[in-house]
Amino acid sequence: MKPNILITGATSGIGAALAARYAGRAELLLAGRMPELEAMPILPANAHYVVADQSAPEVAASNIMAALDLLGWESLDLAVLNAGSGWSGDPASEPAGSIRNTLEANLVAAIALAYGLSPLLSGGRLVLIGSTARRGAPLFASYAAAKAGLDGLARSLAEEWRGRTKVQVIHPGPVRTDIHAKAGFDPGRARRFFTSPETMARLLERALASRRSRRTISFPRYLAAAVTPWLR
Amino acid sequence: MAQITGRRPRALATGGSEGLGGAFVELLLASGYDVVSVDRNAPPAASMAVGIICDLADRVALDRNLDAIVAAGPYRLVLFNAGVSATGRFEAVPLEAYRRLVAVNTEAPMVLASALVNADAVNGHLCFVSSLSHFTGYPGAAVYAASKDALAAYAKSVRKPFAQRGVSVTVAYPGPLRTAHAARHAPPGASVERRTDPAAAARHIVGAALAGRAAVYSDARARMLALAGRLMPDLTIRAMRRVIFDRLDRDVW
Repeated sequence: MKPNILITGATSGIGAALAARYAGRAELLLAGRMPELEAMPILPANAHYVVADQSAPEVAASNIMAALDLLGWESLDLAVLNAGSGWSGDPASEPAGSIRNTLEANLVAAIALAYGLSPLLSGGRLVLIGSTARRGAPLFASYAAAKAGLDGLARSLAEEWRGRTKVQVIHPGPVRTDIHAKAGFDPGRARRFFTSPETMARLLERALASRRSRRTISFPRYLAAAVTPWLR
Repeated sequence: MAQITGRRPRALATGGSEGLGGAFVELLLASGYDVVSVDRNAPPAASMAVGIICDLADRVALDRNLDAIVAAGPYRLVLFNAGVSATGRFEAVPLEAYRRLVAVNTEAPMVLASALVNADAVNGHLCFVSSLSHFTGYPGAAVYAASKDALAAYAKSVRKPFAQRGVSVTVAYPGPLRTAHAARHAPPGASVERRTDPAAAARHIVGAALAGRAAVYSDARARMLALAGRLMPDLTIRAMRRVIFDRLDRDVW
């Protein structure tokens, strides 16, 4: 029987690439901000889709719970909470609204979803997608904060849920997605060194198989993957 | 209640009505500062601090008080100390309490720091009070750990950009303190006498903040625990589980 997998933020970037990798091997429930008609052409065939805007965490969580209910899934083998968004610029000029929205969409949404999904995740795996920015990022201060929050949540929950649900947090380095443009940041020529979403999805799947509860997909790890493309 | 005279240096502390915040306020008053305390409760009647009463979990209230908080500056020292916790099984605490927790512990200090620095209302030092859980984890208070990790990462992020504006940024990582807040959330039988005296922790933290240090622990023991968390992450978090999560007999938020 195919495993049941939920991926949030699945309409672009890492989420979309991860969904494409799992397509055919798993029953997929994908969540994103886009209306269904817009999302359908992007998503793998046979994947289910639910609209969940993470900037309204309770609504997003209840939409996803309703979709799981509708599908009749009584358990989840894997939930990948990947949706994320940020603001870029001088932290002193970040508006209060942006600070709040960044914390809501990246951190509070993950808390609300972990909370709602908890009973379905018995015997399954919860994966939070963080960011290497969590160590501190002057141009992405509130994003760094929210992603560090996911690390703290995962470290603590992994211990609390040990033996019941495996909890992991994976911190990808920069990926060639539209998150930077959406945040108002132009990485310039550095963008050439960013990982492609497809490579990152491959690295993520490998990190998922690891027993460690925290993985960072740093540049050396990416380089190693780039020179060993046969390791799929 | 004291009047701000303009001659003495000014300090701002959030959550200054009790616990570590109360210790900060008393220390700064004794050191010759005019002190503004932002708290949902008024300062103790005997205190000489100027109180701005504001529930930091309430966005509307914070936005309404923001101008007054900025106008009461400029501050030589700002201590983002206010914090709440929620202890129990992750699923046992209502989501609403988690929201409140993230709002008070993470969102409010970020909003305040950004507004104060942008308005040039700080001419010295900022200090964000995180938690020793940053170096390990906190089974039984996962969202508290998340909120304090987030705050630490924000502080690390703004350290350079704020330095360009002449403002230093310090993160404080206090271990267990002898406060009413800690007692409320501790498991039964937790030893109180081994906890750090908040007045001592306040002296240590204020000294580091005024010196512009990047990080400070509440005392030498907290420093050792942070080291243990770094060197032996699995053992340390298991120990955290045994001394806290496995012993919790109630859910408190």
